[in-house]
Amino acid sequence: MTADLSKAALEKGEVLVVERVGGGILELVARLPHLAATAMPGQFAQLRCGTGTTPLLRRPFSVAWTHDDTCGFVFEAVGAGTGILSELQPGDPVDSLGPLGNGFTLVEHGPAVCVSGGLGCAPFPLLINELRRRGVEDIVVLNGARTAARLYPAERFGRPAVSVVAEATDDGTRGYHGSVAALLTPALDSTPSALYACGPNPMLGAVMRTLVESGADLPQVLEASLEAPMGCGFGTCLGCALPMLDDGGGSVWKLCCTDGPVMPMRGVDWVGLSELPGADVA
Amino acid sequence: MTEPGAAGVDLGRGLILPNPVGLASGTAGYGFELAQLIELDRLGALYTKGTTAAPREGNPPPRVAETGGGMLNSIGLQNPGVDVVARDYAPRWRDWTIRVIVNIAGGSLDEYVHCARVLEDVAEIAGLELNISCPNITGGLDFGRDPVAAGQLVAAVRAVTERCIIVKLSPNVTDIAAVARAVEEAGADAVSAVNTFIGRKIHRASGRSVLPLGTGGMSGPAIQPLALAAVAAVCDAVHVPVVGVGGIVDAASAKDFLTVGARAVQVGTATFVNPETALQVLDGLGV
Repeated sequence: MTADLSKAALEKGEVLVVERVGGGILELVARLPHLAATAMPGQFAQLRCGTGTTPLLRRPFSVAWTHDDTCGFVFEAVGAGTGILSELQPGDPVDSLGPLGNGFTLVEHGPAVCVSGGLGCAPFPLLINELRRRGVEDIVVLNGARTAARLYPAERFGRPAVSVVAEATDDGTRGYHGSVAALLTPALDSTPSALYACGPNPMLGAVMRTLVESGADLPQVLEASLEAPMGCGFGTCLGCALPMLDDGGGSVWKLCCTDGPVMPMRGVDWVGLSELPGADVA
Repeated sequence: MTEPGAAGVDLGRGLILPNPVGLASGTAGYGFELAQLIELDRLGALYTKGTTAAPREGNPPPRVAETGGGMLNSIGLQNPGVDVVARDYAPRWRDWTIRVIVNIAGGSLDEYVHCARVLEDVAEIAGLELNISCPNITGGLDFGRDPVAAGQLVAAVRAVTERCIIVKLSPNVTDIAAVARAVEEAGADAVSAVNTFIGRKIHRASGRSVLPLGTGGMSGPAIQPLALAAVAAVCDAVHVPVVGVGGIVDAASAKDFLTVGARAVQVGTATFVNPETALQVLDGLGV
């Protein structure tokens, strides 16, 4: 389904704080009343980084959470754009275009499993809050990262905190030593109604592989939030192509920004996705 | 349609733009997304995504890469094909007042002619922009680089359409004025200049080109002085109206093109950054 852009709007907001939440992970909190009032879990905003012509393009960020008229965004300062955002001070202006993209399919009953890899944590606090608002309390978070310092703090996935947050690190510095996908098997025993995933492409591929190889019935809602180098964020530049399966099992390009970023995991061309360069390449 | 004698920009063959500010091909799709975001009908023209005879899937990603003051793209003319545009898209333009000019592209002369024929009787279309300058498909630049081939292409399309033909020129040539003169002589009603500049970006950690095909088309504010020089040369070379495009970000940078002789402008990459840029240009120009 192509995203509904009718609620997307340009909005000039104000930075409340840029907080370091552990390791290199930063959280930008900004007063953006329109975005806070309209963003659904899984949707994103295109934020300008500075006011000049370099960096030129906006950067897409999942709306991590909303509270009254404020929004949170989770990121790391890895490039020119996020470097500028990392240095924002309270009171600085922030220029948002959103909400954009399709959100997660929201279930009415659990259990729900959220699988996060690294900064893939970003869409989950808003999702978990919305699921709880609908009465879904049986929520499990599987949280992985390369190393302990890059794990999004468990207590930030929900307020009040989600009771079950299982952690995994590639280097074994916290939790299970290995891929977060390895934590899936026990979570599947509860026959979840929904599984939501977000993280680097190799991790998402490992999640799908683990699910298929487990032989368990796959959750009815099985969705991943994907990413791609993005130009506009609203479907006109056609830059953010992702390989998806067509009805005949062939591969077709879909747009991350308006066909996604949330995609049905059954519909992803995982082989094609694994062959793409990493998101850092552009 | 604009009444005869009303203010506007006359591009020829009855195509009168309500005002000179348009959205450049490849940056506005077929208008449906931006129609949800901005007051599209205040603008003069929408130049659609390059449209080919058959559907095109486009190039593998990454398709975009940011550069200093600009970006590279290698979309590869992803489009649904001219039949879908004529049958499914055009009816959705029926109530729009913005003039929809379909940009057509192809790898062969026959492909352009086919597209023009399919679109000839579609009432919602105001004109054709011939993309003889896409750097991201095989063959797309061949017409744009050679004045003789460009002239033959325009003459062939001219023979099958009564519509206004605007020919979009490539800046990736030694003498853009020669190509402009050739398409004017072959029957073009107007020219638009310029398409993107060929550029390359290296992923420094690997030493590989970021874009899978190596190069892409560069756009954005960094190219505005380059585009301006090309447009000035074209304006000096032809008598038909010139539509200036390349790196416009505000009214001032748009006015530069009018100053060197362009009759209208197109806003491109700046729309990605701020979808309201073209409207701001229009308001700033006070036209």
